[in-house]
Amino acid sequence: MVTVRFRDVAKRFGGQRVLAGVSGELRPGRVLVVAGPNGSGKSTFLNILAGLLRPSRGDVQYLEDDRVLDQEDWYPTLGVAAPDMALYEELTAFENLQLFARLRGVHAHDHAALLEELGLAAAHHHKPLGAFSSGMKQRVKLAQAVLHRPSVLLLDEPSANLDEDGHRRVAGLVTRLRSEAAIAVATNDPREMAWGDASIDLAG
Amino acid sequence: MTERTWQKSLKWLLGFWLAGVTAAALLWAPAAAGFQGHSFRIVFFHVPQAWVAVLAFCVNLVASLRYLRGRKPLDDVRATTAARLGLLFAVLATITGSIFAKIEWGMFWNWDPRETSIVILLLIYAAYFALRQAVADEERRAALAAAYAIFAFVTMPFLIFVVPRVYASLHPNLVEAARGAVRFKMDPAMRMVLLGALAGFSGLFAWLYTLEVRVARVMAARRAKEEA
Amino acid sequence: MHRSTLLAESLAVLGKEVASELRRRVALNAIGLFAVTTLVAVAYQIGPYGLAEQDRPFLLSALLWIILFFAATAGLSRVFVKEEDAHTAKALRLAARPLAVLYGKLLFNLLLLLALEAIIVPLYCALMGFAVKSVGGLVLVMVAGGAAFAVTSTFVAAIIARASGSNALFAILALPLLLPLLVAVIAGTRAAAGSPELLAVFPALRAVVSLGGVTMVTAILLFPVVWRD
Repeated sequence: MVTVRFRDVAKRFGGQRVLAGVSGELRPGRVLVVAGPNGSGKSTFLNILAGLLRPSRGDVQYLEDDRVLDQEDWYPTLGVAAPDMALYEELTAFENLQLFARLRGVHAHDHAALLEELGLAAAHHHKPLGAFSSGMKQRVKLAQAVLHRPSVLLLDEPSANLDEDGHRRVAGLVTRLRSEAAIAVATNDPREMAWGDASIDLAG
Repeated sequence: MTERTWQKSLKWLLGFWLAGVTAAALLWAPAAAGFQGHSFRIVFFHVPQAWVAVLAFCVNLVASLRYLRGRKPLDDVRATTAARLGLLFAVLATITGSIFAKIEWGMFWNWDPRETSIVILLLIYAAYFALRQAVADEERRAALAAAYAIFAFVTMPFLIFVVPRVYASLHPNLVEAARGAVRFKMDPAMRMVLLGALAGFSGLFAWLYTLEVRVARVMAARRAKEEA
Repeated sequence: MHRSTLLAESLAVLGKEVASELRRRVALNAIGLFAVTTLVAVAYQIGPYGLAEQDRPFLLSALLWIILFFAATAGLSRVFVKEEDAHTAKALRLAARPLAVLYGKLLFNLLLLLALEAIIVPLYCALMGFAVKSVGGLVLVMVAGGAAFAVTSTFVAAIIARASGSNALFAILALPLLLPLLVAVIAGTRAAAGSPELLAVFPALRAVVSLGGVTMVTAILLFPVVWRD
């Protein structure tokens, strides 16, 4: 079980402030909703939480049984899906999952079952991602984010580009994972906001 | 004495020292044998400039390493300041060097190993600033620039020590000359002026460097205040 | 948490690069076309008889490496630039250890360079009438030079991928770092051309290998900073 603690996280881009001192906690079994209008720094905030971007001020800690983890140790526990993150278009859906499973040292994972759970029909599993619609790509992205059973899951607009069926499947995925992971969802969609146990509003 | 007045008197001392060195270089140092007319006098300025360009490169290295370890914005300021001064002195050394080369060897540029080294140092400094210009994020800019500077520093010795030996150098070898070994014998008075100039230019670098770092520090403090 | 070994991860990255390249051929096309075009232009203008006899070993060695250098700059930065362009870097950054990314991509660039050399060098020798007295020496210089070249270009590629205006920046940043290496490999190639003794290339080879070794160690130490920040 991993808890993520962030203190006074702020970020500046070229003298422009995009994030001003956010503090809080991501706890196992809980869903934290990160809300705020476009440009309020939701994606920046998730990037900082993931350790992909260095804050201008403040810090982020991953704690496992009160022990602070190094970045090297928290990456394996982390799953991320975000609009500014893509998978390899020249590889098929299946090959993409295979690659990330191999990189993360996950063996004997049923990629096909996971893709089906997210609503990608078997006929598409072996087609290159370049030929996919954005909704189909989003489903593969979500599969990539969870295939290693992460204990921290960061979802940036998880149902972006998804239809009604897709939205239901993402909701199902979050329900299935919320008992074993600490989850943060950045969103403006009222249906996704309803998943939250707690929320941060970056606008105010 | 307070720290302020101490700094002020140091500044005056530096001014007098450089004025003295300049006068001594142009008027007091005896003419050196084996050189065209008074052309050798440029050596008293050219060698210290080249030395400061290299010194700045080393200061930049230390600041870059410290930045990567502690991630303090001030260390990034230190690295940039050293690089900026290094670029300036490398340009000066190149100009004075080619004036001397024109008089001594008949051409402004000969691709002599040391001339090549200073050009590469110039190119590295230029690349360093081109890189900084191309990265918008401040933290990332500082880290990438530091990584490039350290990597570049590691390749420089190969240029200075390994490659030049492939060819013979036209450059007067001052180190061996000081030992009285080759080509021209360095007069004790000449050596004294040269050492004085080296000290003076190092002092000039230290003064400009601390001044710029202080300005950057004040500006950072003001920005923090505005944000609060 | 189960984790893969560094070797398995590096090979997974390499495998991904090879599979992508075989399907898209962006780097192969860029490098290959550039090299063949320059080679043809040079061979047409100079050919086997365009140079005075005493200048041949030196000028031909220098020309060969200039062709290889510019062809390589056209394609070697792709390994990292394409990850940023396609926004795939983030997923890779989260899933793989930095050193696995470095090793995988370095190996891929090395393979590209060796393939380039394997095609261009024999062609060049034939078209320009470049008689190499020690083929073994030339192979040594090409392999060691290619490896050292790959280290610096891969590292610089990782840096410029995170900045804007990538391709012009690659040449600006890589040139001053590669110049000492270029001087050494040109000297080595000339030595291989001029003497049947394998030993003749050793002085240059020593410089190339030590330069490659030192830059490799530095790259290993600095890469995590460049890749993660």
